[in-house]
Amino acid sequence: MASVTDLSHHDVEAHHEHHLPTGWRRFLYSTNHKDIGTLYLVFAICAGLIGTVLSIIIRAELLEPGMHVFPLISAIMSGDGSLDAAKNMYNVFFSSHAIIMIFFMVMPAMMGGFGNWMVPLLIGAPDMAFPRLNNLSFWLLVASFILLMCSLFAEGSPGMRGFGGGWVLYPPMSSTVGTPGPAADFVILSMHLAGASSIIGSINFIATIFNMRAPGMTMFRMPLFPWSVLVTAFLLLLALPVLAGALTMLLTDRNFHTTFFEPAGGGDPILFQHLFWFFAHPEVYILIIPGFGMVSQVVATFSKKPIFGYVGMVYAMLAIAFLGFAVWAHHMFTTGMSLNAQRYFVFATMVIAVPTGVKVFSWLATMWGGSISLRPPMLWAIGFVFVFTVGGVTGVVLANAAIDRYLHDTYYVVAHFHYVMSLGAVFSIFAGFYYWFPKMTGYLYDERLAKWHFWVSFVGINLAFFPQHFLGFQGMPRRVVDYTEAYAFWNMVSSIGAFIGGAGTLIFVYLLYDAFKAKRLAGDNPWGPGATTLEWTLPSPPPFHTWETPPHIFGDEDAHAPAIAGQRSPA
Amino acid sequence: MKASGDHDGTTVSAGGRAARNNRLLGVGGATMAVTMIALTYAAAPFYSAFCRATGYEGTPQRVTANTDAAGHRVLRVGFDANVAPGLDWSFEPESESVRLRTGKTVTVFFRARNLTDKPAVAHATFNVSPEVSGEYFDKISCFCFTEQHLGPHESAEWPVVFFLDPSLETDESMAKVDSITLSYTLFAPPSEKPAPARSADRAGPAG
Repeated sequence: MASVTDLSHHDVEAHHEHHLPTGWRRFLYSTNHKDIGTLYLVFAICAGLIGTVLSIIIRAELLEPGMHVFPLISAIMSGDGSLDAAKNMYNVFFSSHAIIMIFFMVMPAMMGGFGNWMVPLLIGAPDMAFPRLNNLSFWLLVASFILLMCSLFAEGSPGMRGFGGGWVLYPPMSSTVGTPGPAADFVILSMHLAGASSIIGSINFIATIFNMRAPGMTMFRMPLFPWSVLVTAFLLLLALPVLAGALTMLLTDRNFHTTFFEPAGGGDPILFQHLFWFFAHPEVYILIIPGFGMVSQVVATFSKKPIFGYVGMVYAMLAIAFLGFAVWAHHMFTTGMSLNAQRYFVFATMVIAVPTGVKVFSWLATMWGGSISLRPPMLWAIGFVFVFTVGGVTGVVLANAAIDRYLHDTYYVVAHFHYVMSLGAVFSIFAGFYYWFPKMTGYLYDERLAKWHFWVSFVGINLAFFPQHFLGFQGMPRRVVDYTEAYAFWNMVSSIGAFIGGAGTLIFVYLLYDAFKAKRLAGDNPWGPGATTLEWTLPSPPPFHTWETPPHIFGDEDAHAPAIAGQRSPA
Repeated sequence: MKASGDHDGTTVSAGGRAARNNRLLGVGGATMAVTMIALTYAAAPFYSAFCRATGYEGTPQRVTANTDAAGHRVLRVGFDANVAPGLDWSFEPESESVRLRTGKTVTVFFRARNLTDKPAVAHATFNVSPEVSGEYFDKISCFCFTEQHLGPHESAEWPVVFFLDPSLETDESMAKVDSITLSYTLFAPPSEKPAPARSADRAGPAG
């Protein structure tokens, strides 16, 4: 409704105050990119807190050998205090933790939250190309989350509640053999909706970025965050339909007697793994590439230098995205591939280290000789470069089929993907959050608290995940609720680290409370001369409608360097 | 600054060309998504054709006759027979294994018996392991190519005629493979199994 009235007034100068929808209508019916971005961010924070609580409970169970925590939770929550119910609940918890963190925390925060908020501001567009589809994207995600919550309370394995087959949803664990109950159907439908939400969102980003840039904002003058969102949108558009297709096959296998993955009818469960990883490997880049964009802008801002190797950074993202579709079977080295297939996937996987290396070196080169100020966004960005590099290096180790034979499904893999995701992607989200929070809300946060948040999280999460490399080398399998005495020490260390990381999250929650309570006004640009992108020329918070008159982008349109707001010649 | 035609100082989306371009990009994006879903479905028949053609995932090759090229290596071929839950049959190989020179055709038998009072139909799925050997495992005839019917308490002996392709001797993946296992699993047709009850006996508590 808001859009209809607003659109007809667009020709008039922007004095919409009396039209602004208020209360629940403003958000439920919102077609405004900033409001939808805010909704996504609030949603991501809530989901992230739930996912964090799940992980803390998992680590509490793994603190010591034996089972202590889940029998208790299971007895309280389902009334079934048996050991089997507790084990099932553990499986449900780690499966939900993964799905929540991937689909309801990282993706909504990066694409939905920062993408919606900042892409139109950064390219000088008045809003997204399809504002009403944007609204649909968000509320589909909420519906998807509700379905996932339903799965927790539906029957999965006989007599058990929830789906415990991991986020990978491999049949036969997710077929009627492993999970005859409707819990798996709820998860599948939830993923369908989340996928539809992201596909609609990515079409929106592609149209916006290709078609709605301000005059003079050529493709190679866009800042790196819109670039990263564009690349990610294409990944989503090509990868998510594959998941949707595979899950539909799984759904019809479960309910309508098709046999895509059912050997009895000539199907093959390994086919699901191929389809799943054809989606899921690009998916891990979907989770990290917007982070690349945010970190690039943060590093440039706080080094007070333009990003080093801008064009190289763009092509590196494109290369990573392209290669991401050609390496899926490195997740399947143990499924009995021929040596030549393994050789190809080892090689292709290692090639990805090259564009990734280009990015890491460019961030370092941007900082090199820069006038660095270690304010909170920069701390998180530097932290990102460190942990992402650690995760990247273990990724190169795992890319070797011969080593993967030993490390497959061990805690080494858990450590690897948490270093790139739980630390890498999350650190980049916090870098972006602390960077743009003053712009989005108009308030400054307490930088001392933000630094505490960083250091406590950094120490905690590294303490949690670094020892898991050792556990993996010792051979501890992932997804187990209990383990032998041999693994006790490093599990104890890892759990303590997780608790410290959890304390960091509490600091974050308090910081939010404090920032909104203290109401310290941020001003247009709290970061000084390094912040050269368009959003810093707007008031904080920006008015409801921005760039109805496109901003003036000065400088050479053929230059291959990000445009500098308000400056007549490129740096 | 060069102002282009559709940025006339009002909103970008108000310009007709911009709106048309947006729609074009939107339809193009949606088409890409739908195409990817279609390709995903196309992957299912493609994948099974790929496995049959290349022996990927231990899929034995189906041939009409032996080429009679004699090989040198002698490998052990073991046999494995299983019955999926939901089908009350017994099923076993007549001999546990044979030793076989590459290129030589051999016939082995599997014994099956319907343990129920009702006639029943079953279909066998099959593969060989290690999976790289699928490319060199050539079946001339096999009971698994068709559905098998057994009357009440009827038993039968089913033949498999196969040979090992001598070209495996030149594949380095096969250099250390001395033993190949041919495995069958008998399934009732999918529509006939009482799904929930069966799964309830099978799926133990997770963990």
